[in-house]
Amino acid sequence: MTESSNIYILVIEDEPDVLDALVRDLESFEDMFPVEMAEDAEEAEQLIESICEDGHEVGLALCDHVLPGKNGVDLLIEMTKWENTKQTRKVLVTGQAGLEDTVKAVNEAGLHHYIAKPWDKEQLEAVVKKQLTEYVLRTRKDLLSFMSKLDQERLADAIHDRGSISDS
Amino acid sequence: MTLNKVQITGLVAGGIGFVVPLLINIPGLALAGSLALSIFLMAAVFWMFEPIPIYATSLLVILLQILLLSGQGLIYSGKKLPTATPESVESQQWNVPSRALTADGKLYLLRDDGETVAREVEVIARDEEAGMVTVEAPFLYSESRVAADVTHPLAEFNPNPYSDFMGTLADPIIILFLGGFSLAGAAVKYKLDRNLTRILLAPFGKRPGFIIMGLMSVTALLSAFMSNTATTAMMMTVIIPIIAQTQKGDPVRIGLALSIPFAANIGGIATPIGTPPNAIVLANLAQQGISISFGYWMVLALPLVLIMLLVAWAVLNWFFPANTESIELEIKEHFRTSSKAYILYGIFLLTVLLWITSSLHGISSTIVALIPVVGLTLTQVLEKEDIRELPWEVLWLMAGGISLGISMENTGLASWMIQQIGWGAMSVTVLFLIFGIVGLVLSNFISNTVTASLVVPLAMTTAMSSATSGFSMIVLVLVVGVSASLAMVLPISTPPNAIAMSTEMVTTRQMAKAGTVIGIVGVVVTLGYALFYWPILF
Repeated sequence: MTESSNIYILVIEDEPDVLDALVRDLESFEDMFPVEMAEDAEEAEQLIESICEDGHEVGLALCDHVLPGKNGVDLLIEMTKWENTKQTRKVLVTGQAGLEDTVKAVNEAGLHHYIAKPWDKEQLEAVVKKQLTEYVLRTRKDLLSFMSKLDQERLADAIHDRGSISDS
Repeated sequence: MTLNKVQITGLVAGGIGFVVPLLINIPGLALAGSLALSIFLMAAVFWMFEPIPIYATSLLVILLQILLLSGQGLIYSGKKLPTATPESVESQQWNVPSRALTADGKLYLLRDDGETVAREVEVIARDEEAGMVTVEAPFLYSESRVAADVTHPLAEFNPNPYSDFMGTLADPIIILFLGGFSLAGAAVKYKLDRNLTRILLAPFGKRPGFIIMGLMSVTALLSAFMSNTATTAMMMTVIIPIIAQTQKGDPVRIGLALSIPFAANIGGIATPIGTPPNAIVLANLAQQGISISFGYWMVLALPLVLIMLLVAWAVLNWFFPANTESIELEIKEHFRTSSKAYILYGIFLLTVLLWITSSLHGISSTIVALIPVVGLTLTQVLEKEDIRELPWEVLWLMAGGISLGISMENTGLASWMIQQIGWGAMSVTVLFLIFGIVGLVLSNFISNTVTASLVVPLAMTTAMSSATSGFSMIVLVLVVGVSASLAMVLPISTPPNAIAMSTEMVTTRQMAKAGTVIGIVGVVVTLGYALFYWPILF
């Protein structure tokens, strides 16, 4: 993980239509945060591995709960255990997760947000912006390059508090 | 560490700049001058292309000066100037070794403090066989010592002790800034700056023009005591919610986004601690024995700051007029009320009061600066972690600039450079204009502090060498310092500009348009000040 590596958004959703809709709604982030798609947990794991091997990182995972094979909550729990995805912001995008699974996601995967289907584009954008801002605040020193896309007020506040830029 | 093409070019060019003056014989420049030129060229290139961080270049400058130019370094350490005692021939006529006489008929007379002074003599007779000359010199006596060999490197150069260069890291001016940094660090920690903004903005109402005026006044006030960059970052958090209220495409968005960095750049001029270039100005003057008190600086600078704020405000309103009638301003913040916060408020107030009244009580502002450093640490308002977070690299950056100035004066490099350019022969008005423009243009592309470090020593020497009245040195140096702070054309011109640009609320073109007008008006206003207002005050 370095200051110059790319921060990926990973979307895991098995229904192609829903996946398309999600990715379309993430369009405004794509030129700074490349979006990768996976249809199940296994594919997601491979993607994470190849992203990290190339020296990049997964900043945000938007994950459906009901997937073929391993379910979304279990995937997020695994991600909190891996060194490369420990810091990744984890969001569940689902219509069907029961209380028990949701509680498990919060307690064991450190779930950062829960978006219920159907989602609203603006709400999704706001959640993604907030979570990516959190990620950047935790992992980056150079915050200026993220100002145009993320939460400007919080980033400016952090630049002020940290004194990360000085007069020259 | 990976370097891009520009940085690699800079690294190579800096290396070449360092080596060339050592390889070729430069007419008019002795060994020490050549060494200083080497360091100057390398530093200038490194500071411009930044193959290494600018503060690292500063530290490198200090080390190279110690190694190459100090009395304890590689070249001058252990060297002693061979001296000779004149033999009396008759009244006021003396025999001295012919090698003690320079080609233009001068002797280097050794003073009691070890320094040499060149004195002109009249040659009466030469005895080539004995290698002696008879000179007429009323200032010689039988115990005088003169340099026996004028080609010796020490004959016309008195190396500084290494502690002079190292000492710049704790120069009184640097301590002045440390005091400012401590206050600012604590103000940020206890949100004093944000609270002051909240209180001070309240009277400015809701009309966009007034709001922008309020924002600019408060930004300038804060940046006069805190870093321009920290002030900008804080004020951005204030204007982002305001901008969100306005319609997309309303030009007032651009006006708001530019008002903050512009006011921060201008506000830094107002006090000695406002911005690092001021330190270079003060330190260079101090080396010539001229000290400017905190309050006096403000008398010099404040009227200029107010006019430039008005100019910037008018330019922004003219270029980017608001489409909205009113803007709601709300800053969610409250004054901290812990005992440490109150200690901070007290120390802040006391320090600022003592600074601006320095002409009344006579305590130097550099000494006053230790009050917040000591006061805030002994009460643990600033803890160990807070001290570590102070911008030490800015202090080092300034120290290197101050240190470079010492050698530029002492080795004769600055006066040699001025002879090459022919600045010495120009009228005062032309000089003010030239130095103003050089300062403005250069600092639009490189760091303001670096601009001051490179140009201020030249301005000093120009003022000393040209036959102008005494005040012109201070004014000329001030012109350079001020114009370095008026550079705000490009996103890279200053960190506040870079912050405003990063929001993408303004384009480079819009910034350049407004920044160019402000810069040009700024130099003209500064020139007017230099010619008509500042001279009155001396």
